[in-house]
Amino acid sequence: MSGVALATPPESRARRELRRAAHVMLDARWPIFAVIVLGAVAIAAAFGPVLAPSDPNRQNLALRLADPMAAGPDGTVFWLGSDALGRDVLSRLLYGARVSLLVGIAAISVGGGIGIVAGLLSGYFGGWVDDLIMRLGDIQLAFPFILLAIMFLVVMGSGVGNLVLVLGIGQWVTYARIVRADTLSLREKEFVEAARALGDSTPSIIFRTILPNILAPLTVIASFNVASVILSEAALSFLGLGVPPEVPTWGSMLAESRDTLVANKWWLAVFPGVAIMLTVLSFNILGDWLRDFLDPRLRERT
Amino acid sequence: MTHRSVVTRSAATGLLVAVCLLTACAQRSEDTIVVGLSADITTFEPGMISSRDNANIAQHIFGTLFSLDPEGNHLPNLAHTLEISEDGTAYVYTLHEGLTCHDGEALTAEDVAYAFNRIADPQNRFTGNAPGFVFTSIGFQDAEALDDLRVQINIARKNPIAFGLITEIYVHCKDSYEQMTLDEAASSPIGSGSYRLASWTRGSEVVLEKVRDPGTFRRIAWRIIPEASTRTAELIAGNVDIITNVVPEQIEAIDASGRAEVRIVSGTRRMYLGFNLSEAHRQLPGGEAIQDPRVRRALQYAVDVPTICRQLLSVECERATGLVNPPNDNADLTPYPYDPDRAETLLDQAGWQRGDDGVRFSIRLQAGRGRYVNDVNVVLAITQYLEDVGLDVEMELLEWASVYTPLLRERSMGPLFFLGTGGGLWSPIYDMTDLAEVESGTNYTHWSDERWFSRWAELSEAKSEEETRAIIDEMLEVFYEDGPWLHLYFQPDFYGVSDRIVWEPRRDERVHVFDARLR
Repeated sequence: MSGVALATPPESRARRELRRAAHVMLDARWPIFAVIVLGAVAIAAAFGPVLAPSDPNRQNLALRLADPMAAGPDGTVFWLGSDALGRDVLSRLLYGARVSLLVGIAAISVGGGIGIVAGLLSGYFGGWVDDLIMRLGDIQLAFPFILLAIMFLVVMGSGVGNLVLVLGIGQWVTYARIVRADTLSLREKEFVEAARALGDSTPSIIFRTILPNILAPLTVIASFNVASVILSEAALSFLGLGVPPEVPTWGSMLAESRDTLVANKWWLAVFPGVAIMLTVLSFNILGDWLRDFLDPRLRERT
Repeated sequence: MTHRSVVTRSAATGLLVAVCLLTACAQRSEDTIVVGLSADITTFEPGMISSRDNANIAQHIFGTLFSLDPEGNHLPNLAHTLEISEDGTAYVYTLHEGLTCHDGEALTAEDVAYAFNRIADPQNRFTGNAPGFVFTSIGFQDAEALDDLRVQINIARKNPIAFGLITEIYVHCKDSYEQMTLDEAASSPIGSGSYRLASWTRGSEVVLEKVRDPGTFRRIAWRIIPEASTRTAELIAGNVDIITNVVPEQIEAIDASGRAEVRIVSGTRRMYLGFNLSEAHRQLPGGEAIQDPRVRRALQYAVDVPTICRQLLSVECERATGLVNPPNDNADLTPYPYDPDRAETLLDQAGWQRGDDGVRFSIRLQAGRGRYVNDVNVVLAITQYLEDVGLDVEMELLEWASVYTPLLRERSMGPLFFLGTGGGLWSPIYDMTDLAEVESGTNYTHWSDERWFSRWAELSEAKSEEETRAIIDEMLEVFYEDGPWLHLYFQPDFYGVSDRIVWEPRRDERVHVFDARLR
């Protein structure tokens, strides 16, 4: 079976995999919805400044708490209403997409990067290196993540950089454990033995021989993790520990809506809330689909 | 009924049902009153108490020699008479007989003298309102017991408002406090007032139990509820009787609930944007620029205060011209108008032109969160106004009790900072006393203009009302022109009051629960 795969030219294999991905996706339907939502969020994040009707931080106290679709005296329309300082909710939502996605993906990159390196070292070398890394992971898991994040941000100060760092650090153990388990198994395989016998250096074996073979499950984990990181960012911003107040994020928009919700200004909570819900849901659906897609047992069926 | 009021009423009812489902609407005891405060409290050490919320609880635990009503009338408390020496530097108070502290110890003149001297003891390093504001203002020297009932307070010089300031000093017994460490005194006060501390769950609740009159309720529970919507929800659900700092947007929902209403009083707290002029802050970005009075004056024109009042505080207000509450202020001064073009011109003339990026200079603005009415939005609005005239403002919103209050104690906020300091209506000098000395604990700006500080001696020696008024007006003019405050407004106070009780809010922010009663 593997001999056939090796004999297939790379282009046609890639094309075949893409065709299979499209087929599985069309079959399941929901992933299409997820891709459309995430595509829209990605466009909002990439082209927010172009799409936004106005500066997301531009205040207009005279037009505060304007209802959705309300128009200002200069003809500006607040499609999704304005907030307590007269800022355009739609513009803030579009800019907020940028922060949410940026934080989500950057944090996963940080956490994944640390976790993959730690897991590879732990699994490949074993012994005291393994003990040290795994016990560090155990210690971290003993702390509730949100508490750890609050402590970190109180000490280090809020800001996008620190937020990415703390959310990334919160994820590394998951990756490290999965990578370690796979590395433990792979390091005894014949192709690794062969690389060793051919005189490959240890870094080359770890990063060029073992790593490519464990990336698939990590992709699935990452897609689920982006969703949880976006939720954590929203939670920390809701607590006032996320990004600075002038940077619009969906979490901080929700937090700002608290005082006006009682006064029936529903749009301040509903729009960012729905944005968070749809994005997180889409990442979860996509992760689910990716897991099925990469499952070799399901692969045989498709 | 309009559509909007139907919706608001429905929202209030929905909120009530939701809160009741979550918390089970409390069947409050008839002998307990519950007050919801917006800011956490940090200490019961008489020498360290500085915030109004903290003082509101402490005033039920500790007695004072005399007290003041909102109009400035003197009311006897632990003492019933006062004699002042001819030179105005010795105040002799005569105590009531039979006073005791909460542990049963007899309260005599020696105890009063000890309580005063303990606050002033430099070894204790107290930085609260008593040493930082009252004692520096009156030039407190020492206190001595003349006999069991008469205590003499000695001050450095004659001071026309010393009597009023001394009403802010909390009294306790000697033996109990001599045996306590400073930490114990901060957490387990043994007071001399109507209520004793029954329990204190930090960050959550303080419960007081009645010891003696005055006081209608047997217990007062002070709940710390920092989040405004939660305070409102708890009031509507009937779980608290009084809440402070109602957010203006929630007034309609409370009034529509049928269970509580909002009382608005014209408060005396002076809200301002301070310019920290200390040497340490001079080194920070923007620190050098604000040393120049022309820059400070220019920025006065940059902020539209009446619009902030109207839109964010739901009241019409006239902008403050200084630190003295009307009608005691200098009536000849006109509030700075909102004129951003003039602000820009003055900044240009002061040598701070816009750069290629449109920025004149960068500066940090620090503010506490949740202490004042709609404070976060007010600070965000001010930031916008300053940025409109070319400042690059780095805003820092800090947690009030544990982050901002320590900065206040050290007078190290800034270079720009948002603050409100309590004022009074009984004397213009009381309001001015924040800046009695350059090193006063309440001179948060480190302002040191001789034209202000050199006048205090003159003021204390003034022979007539007219002479006093003339000096005050001159000082206030200096403060208006070149002072260290960007003048904002006198904060209106919004209290939510349950229909269960009868209670009238005061203008001076003191939440006196002594005479509250069930309806």
